[in-house]
Amino acid sequence: MDLLPFFQWLTGIPLSQYFLSHTWAAPIAQVIHLVAVAVFIGALAIVDMRMLGRGLTSRPLSDIARDAQPWLIGGFLVLFITGFPQLTSTALKQYYSPFFWWKMEALVIGLIFTFTVRRRVAMTDEALLGPVLPKVVGILSLAIWTSVTIGARLIGLMG
Amino acid sequence: MLSSSVALREAFNVYPWLLTAHVVTTTIFAGLIIMMDLRLAGIGNLSTPFVQTQKRLFPWQMATMGLSTLTGGLLFYGDPMRFYPNFYFWLKMLLMVLAGVNAFVFHMTVYERALARIEAKITEARSWVSWNFSGLVPFEARVAGLLSLVLWASIIITGRMIAYSALVPQWWLDLGLS
Repeated sequence: MDLLPFFQWLTGIPLSQYFLSHTWAAPIAQVIHLVAVAVFIGALAIVDMRMLGRGLTSRPLSDIARDAQPWLIGGFLVLFITGFPQLTSTALKQYYSPFFWWKMEALVIGLIFTFTVRRRVAMTDEALLGPVLPKVVGILSLAIWTSVTIGARLIGLMG
Repeated sequence: MLSSSVALREAFNVYPWLLTAHVVTTTIFAGLIIMMDLRLAGIGNLSTPFVQTQKRLFPWQMATMGLSTLTGGLLFYGDPMRFYPNFYFWLKMLLMVLAGVNAFVFHMTVYERALARIEAKITEARSWVSWNFSGLVPFEARVAGLLSLVLWASIIITGRMIAYSALVPQWWLDLGLS
């Protein structure tokens, strides 16, 4: 299935046209996107670090995860809302960038992993988890989401 | 003109990877700062006592700040004349100084006083009812937390805006730095 016609169509939707014709639209979306990245990564990192036995170790894993969850989900929603017009307004550039596809594949893997395995592990009583599983999940989570960030940054730098 | 600066700027793909490393380390650093600030301001992460949040995240904040500063410093070193005339670069530097001052002042005054107040409250009431164990945060601590949140968000914003060197006030362009 070739997605090229779909990406061509995205470039023409009114949202894309608005972004392309207003000088400040893209930078405003980009700066909000980046602040949301910091909130999302912060909420992610304190839980992943806790799984690795680092950082906020004075409280149970599930407490840390429950506190972080609204910032993780809220951060992601803001990322989606501010990312979507940036994608549509530069859809052809994205389509031809290998790093865009790298980012999107890692993003899908990250979302599935975070809301299935990681969520399950974060909410389970640590005594039942053993020493290995949380560490593996924490490392994987950090690796997947870091690769999303790397792919994202390289779209703009290396096409 | 230092030759190592030129080499860094012109080396194949070093600059993009350095910028990527700067973004990755900065988002982790700022993320850990924001998570602590949310606790400090009484907005989030309330199940962990503030003192624990501060103490346990501190080494990681310092380590990632080190990496972020190193990669940022190399970016500047590799292409100083890209940044020297840039409005957002200088605004970002100013904001980082303010964030440092805010953290220092908080640590030296509010934090110490708040800790003393916790001690007093524990002694007085013989209970663990204090801001450290609840969302009841002293006003000054809330101000320091909110101020830090605003400053770090602004630092990320101005950092990203460095790419938009022409979208700046006219008076800045009139200085004729570039």
